[in-house]
Amino acid sequence: MKILVIEDEPEMKELIRKFLQDEGYIVEEAGTFSSGLDKIVSYDYDCILLDIMLPDGNGLALLQEVKSLQKADSVIIISAKDSLDDKLKGFDLGADDYLTKPFHLTELNARIKSVIRRRMPADNRLLELENVKISIEEREALVNDKPITLNRKEFDILVFLMMNKNRITSKSAIAENIWGDYIDQSDDFDFIYSQIKNLRKKLRNSSAMIDIEVVYGMGYKLIEK
Amino acid sequence: MKLINHTLTLLSAISFVLISLWAILFYSQILKQVKTTIDEGLSDYKIVVLDKLKDDSLIVEQSTFKDNNYLIKRVDEAFALQIRDIYKDTLVYSNLKNKTYQTRLLTTAFVASNGKYYKMKLISHEINKPKLIKKIATLLFWLYLLLFASTILVNNFVLKKTWGPFYQLLHYLNKFRLDKGAVPDNPKTNIQEFLMLNDSVKNLVKTNVDIFNNQKQFIENVSHELQTPLAIGINKLELFVGDEDLSKGQIQKIGAIIDTFRRLSGLNKSLLLFSKIENRQYISKEQIYFDDIFRKIIHDFSDYTEYQDIKIEYQKEDSLVFKMNKDLAVILVMNLVKNAIFHNRRGGEVLVRLFSSSFTVENTSVESVELDDKLFERFAKNSTDKNSTGLGLAIVRAIVDVSGLELLYSFNGKHVFEVSEKR
Repeated sequence: MKILVIEDEPEMKELIRKFLQDEGYIVEEAGTFSSGLDKIVSYDYDCILLDIMLPDGNGLALLQEVKSLQKADSVIIISAKDSLDDKLKGFDLGADDYLTKPFHLTELNARIKSVIRRRMPADNRLLELENVKISIEEREALVNDKPITLNRKEFDILVFLMMNKNRITSKSAIAENIWGDYIDQSDDFDFIYSQIKNLRKKLRNSSAMIDIEVVYGMGYKLIEK
Repeated sequence: MKLINHTLTLLSAISFVLISLWAILFYSQILKQVKTTIDEGLSDYKIVVLDKLKDDSLIVEQSTFKDNNYLIKRVDEAFALQIRDIYKDTLVYSNLKNKTYQTRLLTTAFVASNGKYYKMKLISHEINKPKLIKKIATLLFWLYLLLFASTILVNNFVLKKTWGPFYQLLHYLNKFRLDKGAVPDNPKTNIQEFLMLNDSVKNLVKTNVDIFNNQKQFIENVSHELQTPLAIGINKLELFVGDEDLSKGQIQKIGAIIDTFRRLSGLNKSLLLFSKIENRQYISKEQIYFDDIFRKIIHDFSDYTEYQDIKIEYQKEDSLVFKMNKDLAVILVMNLVKNAIFHNRRGGEVLVRLFSSSFTVENTSVESVELDDKLFERFAKNSTDKNSTGLGLAIVRAIVDVSGLELLYSFNGKHVFEVSEKR
């Protein structure tokens, strides 16, 4: 899997590169509009992370370039601007997703996995770990090929944690992913715990080979048993 | 005191003093003139009398003025010769009128045809001083009234017209708001002072509006620039926390730092939102169906309210449709509902009611006391709540202000926030 990171802030770029390499991706970087354009024209990527505020041009123009070259690369826009206008423009131009800074790396991870998964052939889209299989389209979770009943929130949490397996996922990242931005100002994420508790119980009862670990003061971590 | 009344009082006082002084001067001059005229009359009368007295038989010595206006007394030659004509004021008692009255008296001496010397006193007709004074006073009083009336006229017609530009400017300043920043109109006048005043105010307003706008822009830029370092900070820590070597205690500490960063980022986002609202960057308007928004947001919060055992009741009495920016409408409702939920207590209640031109959000809370007006100010924080940014309700106020809505807070055991269309 090849990912191109177009981001002018060196520290941010470095951070994303490290994180994605850690996740097993091949990562290439570009810090400017022109170097980004060079790479887009010359190579194919599975996913492009695109900052729309570049020193020598607007990232949206790069997005247009990708589409006019009829490239299949998925594009996720990363912007410090939480502007509905930009968001709509980005989606209009064919962006697959839009992420506002600051974001959680686990959220970025989940978004990348989602857009890449959508490009896969249908029979290859299952999210799998040990004896647990999840079909996101069908909203179905299987343990040892037997379905388990999860409510909507439990299912979403499981998907998010599966995508970030073996990573500490903060409570706020989970809250924002499942409940949306509006919950961000509450520090009281304990209500997530009740959902997690039920999810763990259901996983255990169906003898899934995965478990959710509580990382005190931070959040949760999905691990293989 | 109004400017116009002030000048009126001043002018009246001045004219009163001037007219009073004038009255005294005028009276004394008139009196002097009257006396001179009378004295001349007496002098003529003397000649007439002397002419008549050439006939010695008519010379009768008298001790009082009776029928005649003169009296004659025999004196010796030496005395008569040293008498010069003297005019003076005197009081005379008249039997006829039965009163004492003021008159002029001429004392003179003459030698009759028989060679005898006589002293003669002649009196004029009555000088009625009080009558004179009364007459003059009445006239001057009318003059004063006339002056007073013309002062009022001058004030109303001339001064009002002259001070027009001043009142126009005053009206403008009264209504001036820095965030609206309208420049005053050019006055229709050629009075230099007013033109200068207007120019000065114009410059003052322009400078301040510029500074204000720069400040707003500055806040927006700062908030914007802060986002990236904040993002880097949070993400670096998130990456770091995955390090295998970290102990549980260290992870917990990093978690606390991330939370602090996250709060900072939330605060920053709110500030950014604030600037955008105040810089009027939410322009587009559409018909907003508040029923839809409320239903969605109440549903979005349902997991949290269930967990906190907070009961949300939604009463739709009527459907509220209002034309405003959609983003702002959602933020408005969200902040009010969020405020009602997060400042609630376990097992508390939230009541949302929708009417045809308003809606209310009521909530119970830990502190059951009425809150003061500072509620809607920025950073008006409830000290017990470390997580609140103190911007939520300030944002509500800002949205209400730019959208032509009205916001009211009241307390009836519950905190009630009412948003209504501006009447």
